[in-house]
Amino acid sequence: MTDPEVEQLLSRGLATRPANTETLERMRTAVSQAWKAAPNLAQSPATVESPRAGSRWALWGGLAIAASLVALSVTLLAIRPVVDRQIVGSLARSIDAGVEISQGFARARGLGAGDPLRVGDTLKVRGPILVALAQGGSLRAAPDTVMTVASDTQITLERGLIYLDKPPARGETRPMRIATRSGLIEHLGTEFEVMSDDHAVRIRVREGQVRFSGASGALVANAGTELLSSRAGAIAERPIQTYGRDWLWIAELTPNFAVEGRSLMDYLEWVSRELGRPLVFANDQARDSARRTILHGSAQNQASLDALADVLSTTTLSYELAEGAIRVHSN
Amino acid sequence: MYEADQLLVSRMRAGDQRAFDEFFNVNAPRLLAFVSRRSTLDLASVEDVVQSSLIKAVGHLAGYRAEAALFTWLTEICFHELVDGHRKAERRPTHISLDDSATASQVAELRTPAHMQPEGRLEAASHSAEVMRVLGSLPKHYALALEAKYGDGLSVEAIANMLGMSTTATQSLLARARELFRERWNFSLVGAVDLPL
Repeated sequence: MTDPEVEQLLSRGLATRPANTETLERMRTAVSQAWKAAPNLAQSPATVESPRAGSRWALWGGLAIAASLVALSVTLLAIRPVVDRQIVGSLARSIDAGVEISQGFARARGLGAGDPLRVGDTLKVRGPILVALAQGGSLRAAPDTVMTVASDTQITLERGLIYLDKPPARGETRPMRIATRSGLIEHLGTEFEVMSDDHAVRIRVREGQVRFSGASGALVANAGTELLSSRAGAIAERPIQTYGRDWLWIAELTPNFAVEGRSLMDYLEWVSRELGRPLVFANDQARDSARRTILHGSAQNQASLDALADVLSTTTLSYELAEGAIRVHSN
Repeated sequence: MYEADQLLVSRMRAGDQRAFDEFFNVNAPRLLAFVSRRSTLDLASVEDVVQSSLIKAVGHLAGYRAEAALFTWLTEICFHELVDGHRKAERRPTHISLDDSATASQVAELRTPAHMQPEGRLEAASHSAEVMRVLGSLPKHYALALEAKYGDGLSVEAIANMLGMSTTATQSLLARARELFRERWNFSLVGAVDLPL
């Protein structure tokens, strides 16, 4: 049996009658009603679909006549409907005390896994957190970090330590930006860490490039570079390692990697990126073997050298560390 | 790994109507096909099963932890509903009286389309059952990938997202899945022949 014959066999055997439009609409109505009544919604969808802004405006507008314009602005900010604000990501994981979120003058509340982050939200990070970004990639933040989602492409880092991992997306025209008191950092397709406070900012580039614009001008920093800049504009630059102790804090927030059915090459590339160690193959045979080998099962603490050794022990390959790189060779 | 699905659920939990529409438009037709392929229930019962599953899902969105694709999570809910659906079907009367006046007038109007003639349906049903049987003998991710591609018409990229794999790895997986399906199918045909003693 040829490949096209197998495909035809499968297509015929798996074919089902297309769903009837009337049936689907009836079903949509029932499911939609259940969704709107669901207790796990952050807010009533009825409010989202048709926020009764008119009545709110009328109410607060009446008060505004007697109150000052400032008071009105404050009030409107506090009651601004959530739906107006774009979702930029969601909390993928939090450890220990987690994170508090607030918007405008609204009371801060705890954030759970899966909860959305919107433009305008301010995050007070109590324990390490991992955020999945809507545009792809992830953001990790260390305890005692305070940041505000200024727009879908900009985060204002008030203070603390964050790590952005955002591979370049095809056709992306607006770079991700981190604004600090000491300057603006633009993402050029990379992994990097930013630490900031009232006086200075430290940027460590792990992969790719970032552009930093401070009081004394702009410059581009490459992978393996650390920039230190004060609010006054003094900049210091030095080479750093992209792996090791300084990067351990992001390891506990590593996104999960589904091993089952993936190629060994996929896994090696992922581990290399997460550990900040370049991946090299001793020869073409080792590279081909990594491409052909498909993994099954699961691995604990996958982005560690121990896990890498465990995974490779089930294959014909092994690794060694050579000048910071993971060098894979055949046994 | 399933950030897009997790984000969609987050948007739904935030009350985003467009997120609900996307959720329903993508998953409802696929679930109907998924249940149809796996059960002998009549069409109305299949719809009941899918509707109940979706209602349960939207009522427990907080239970989705992005440990698997959203569709996979929905199929797990569907399996439970399917078991209930079969139990209910067993309790229903299987015979109706054609002498009943309302039924008699409906029967008089019935015209069976050519492709629904008993011989054609039996052959199609038998072929589908055999394909599903062979798929059921494959590793789960192979069967899921083949069903998504040839049953639901998903692109390789969409299947890659569903399985949490790269596009290249998914293409390779589909090739191996087809090969194993071919082997098992040929084996099942040989197994069906009466061999001389």
